[in-house]
Amino acid sequence: MPRISLKIVGASGQGINSIGAIIAKGLKRSGYCVFGYREYPSLIKGGHASYQLDISNQSIRSTEAKVDVLVALNHHGLELNMEELKPGGIVLHVTPGWQFPEHHQKLIVERSLRVVYFPVDDILNRFGARAILSNVLLTAFVWSMLNQDVDVLKSLVGEKFAKKKALLELNMRCIDEGYSFVDPEQGRISVVLPPPDKGFAGHLLITGSQAMGLGAVHAGVRLYAGYPMTPSSPLLSFIAELENKTHMVVKQAEDEITAAQIVSGAMYMGTRALTATSGVGFDLMSETLSLNAMIENPTVFVLAQRPGPATGLPTWTAQGGLLQVTSCSAGEFTRCVIAVSNSQDAFDLMPVAFNLAEQFQISVIVLTDKQIAEALYTQLPYDLEKAEIDRGRLIVDPEKLKFLRSSDRFDPHAKGGVSLRWLPGSDAATYCAQGDEHNAVGAVDESSLNTRLQMEKRLRKFHGLKAGLPAPQLIIGGRSVTTADWMDVSDEIELLAIGWGSTGDVFQDVMCSAELRGRKIVYLHYTYLWPLRTQELQILAKRSKRIVLVEQNYQGQLGMLIRMGCGLDIPDKILKYDGRPFFYDELLSSVLEKWSDTSESRENSHDSELAGTPS
Amino acid sequence: MNIALQTRPPALSDYYSETKCIWCDGCGNYGIWTAVKYALVELNLHPWQVCLCYDVGCNGNGSDKIEGYRFHGLHGRVIPFAAGAKLANMKLPVIAFGGDGATFSEGIGHLIHGVRSNYPITFVLHNNTNYGLTTGQASSLTPQGQPMNTSPNGIPERTLASMELIFSLNPTFVARGFSGDIKLMTRILKAAIQHRGFAFVEMLQACPTYNHFATHEYLLNKYFDASVDGHDPGNLQQAKALATQVQDRIACGILYQREDVPDFYSRLIPRQGLETTCVEEVRRYDVSEYWKELV
Repeated sequence: MPRISLKIVGASGQGINSIGAIIAKGLKRSGYCVFGYREYPSLIKGGHASYQLDISNQSIRSTEAKVDVLVALNHHGLELNMEELKPGGIVLHVTPGWQFPEHHQKLIVERSLRVVYFPVDDILNRFGARAILSNVLLTAFVWSMLNQDVDVLKSLVGEKFAKKKALLELNMRCIDEGYSFVDPEQGRISVVLPPPDKGFAGHLLITGSQAMGLGAVHAGVRLYAGYPMTPSSPLLSFIAELENKTHMVVKQAEDEITAAQIVSGAMYMGTRALTATSGVGFDLMSETLSLNAMIENPTVFVLAQRPGPATGLPTWTAQGGLLQVTSCSAGEFTRCVIAVSNSQDAFDLMPVAFNLAEQFQISVIVLTDKQIAEALYTQLPYDLEKAEIDRGRLIVDPEKLKFLRSSDRFDPHAKGGVSLRWLPGSDAATYCAQGDEHNAVGAVDESSLNTRLQMEKRLRKFHGLKAGLPAPQLIIGGRSVTTADWMDVSDEIELLAIGWGSTGDVFQDVMCSAELRGRKIVYLHYTYLWPLRTQELQILAKRSKRIVLVEQNYQGQLGMLIRMGCGLDIPDKILKYDGRPFFYDELLSSVLEKWSDTSESRENSHDSELAGTPS
Repeated sequence: MNIALQTRPPALSDYYSETKCIWCDGCGNYGIWTAVKYALVELNLHPWQVCLCYDVGCNGNGSDKIEGYRFHGLHGRVIPFAAGAKLANMKLPVIAFGGDGATFSEGIGHLIHGVRSNYPITFVLHNNTNYGLTTGQASSLTPQGQPMNTSPNGIPERTLASMELIFSLNPTFVARGFSGDIKLMTRILKAAIQHRGFAFVEMLQACPTYNHFATHEYLLNKYFDASVDGHDPGNLQQAKALATQVQDRIACGILYQREDVPDFYSRLIPRQGLETTCVEEVRRYDVSEYWKELV
């Protein structure tokens, strides 16, 4: 797959995002698939930040650590990011008279880098234009470097300033000026992109947070309560921006406890309501998780992961929250944990999460992370006919409501532990959603028999839930295959990789690389993480020479759950816990390393065995 | 003329629960419990037409001693849960109950933001001036120096001026009842449930087992119905004075009410003009209009 990477660096607030967003949209409209990745510190102005676009004419969903083009909006970028350039790369900067230090001069020669100085201040002075227009100038120059049609850029900028004529004219002049600039020393510089695929032109450019917000609205969420905390905040902002169109109730709560309680009250009353948080914010919500388990109140919580402990790295990414959400909070109860992987299932899984919550009257925790929440995806418009709204055993028919008895609500003998549910305000027998151990009507009952029956009722849901969850996704050669068909094939697998969440897309891009194409690598991707389904994994593991766990945490948390679930120990791991996502080139070399280990140590390939199981 | 069965007005017996009361003899909860039932019946509400939310404490043990759609939650958290329930279905009266322990310690942030937000709910504070259910510890409303369980020398902290706090938040409804006067409590509760905003109702109640300082007799001798004295609930200064000055006499009744402040829900621009509730609006939505700008 051809891929070009372009990284814009500078100070936070300098306009990196607006340049990145405009170029991304222009390229997408011209028929390219773009994947945008942001790095920034937890502050508002200043601090070194970046916006990277990885571009292809095929589906691309990962970021490279080494880039083809570096655009530096200040000299800090020249100091900090030079090492990231690939051989033959281009450095575009705006710092007048910049003298590269010796080691960078050496680097420029060794890697045959081309350095272009774009005299943005001179041009601004000539135009008598304000500094804010420097971004338009620079964007236009980058656009010409990418050999793209100037009219596409003009129409994009035109949309933005349609109502401000004077500004519009000035912007258009800047575009012409920037676009026609030629570096007197380097001559015309161009970055060759592969031929476009017009199929991408109609796609959306969307962040994972926007995708999740649209998914929530699609799923019938009518109330959203949240407390700002990165990286869950973009979801709150997006839902709030839409409120006048969706007519939803949006509440910025005084803390995460409040947000969780408001949402729980709203779900108890019978609407669909959502909250999201990050890191320790979820700790504050966890008591409410336990409450909802006891009152069998369907609820959905989103945890947008970032590195911890404590406030950790607020604006960076991690997959360290898996064990937190599978085991936090008092008491034993049935819960469901699912993880979104990209902008497609950030949308698709919202109706799924609410359906599961209502079908089983449990809490569903949806994991995302900073990478998904803020990455920019080129996304096929969503299928709006696919999702069902399934409210489980909810009774709304007045004829049926008449026959309900209070004891139907928490009937311990209900099939699968899921009893009938009806909403406050229904003309029917009433009940108590009781946080103390209770009998079928919700009256407190601490007797031995009742305690046992009600525990069994609530925990019985686990089996039904587990049996109904989809199998992990099996990916071979970068393409998803039907798990059931493939399970019977007795081919030997050279390398079985296991991952979840945002790791999946990067791994799939890596599998499509020239280096790995045609090799017997299988990737098993988990979306449904708890209850954990392991039967497919166990079969695949027996056929695999080498198994490797790929996760963005220190302990290999999915690996721990796998071992707990079926005894399979996976000592071989590719783990990352530095706040950065897996980068394409970095993960590729890690996989190649594992691969060569596999070839070298054929004799010792049985170090991953089923431990503690009779098989 | 015959009246169809389903159209008969609600009766006190509709709220009868099989579950036996387990409060101590002489507990103020009996009076409050009775007044709540009277108020609901007099407002012509059937049990299925109300949502009663209980915090943790002796009051919360009343959650299964009455009919109605009820909820019994976690310590200090009843206000946000009740607010969420109400915002989802504005057609149902939502009444939250909490003790002085939960409300002025663990859940004090929720109380403050509840009053500030002016959620359209009724909040009934069961004030027995101690943590009854955990066997008589001091709450932040227990007088400083009063020996209690876990504080034999009295607590070192100053007593929280609860009514000063409430009035500092620009409340829209403040009332005080006494568990020994069911008629007065019924009148207060009816007005509170009909109030369009956050109705803060303090019920002074006896705790015969752990509260030996503000006993039933003490409260009985000090309380009076402020409306009999001609108090105007629209008079903020007088209301505040009556609410906070309780050394000699304790003013009860509707102390303060203003109806010109819109409640939280009425202030939500996206909800204006909508007749439906969030509960009624759950369905699959076409969101393609919202992604147009992303193409």
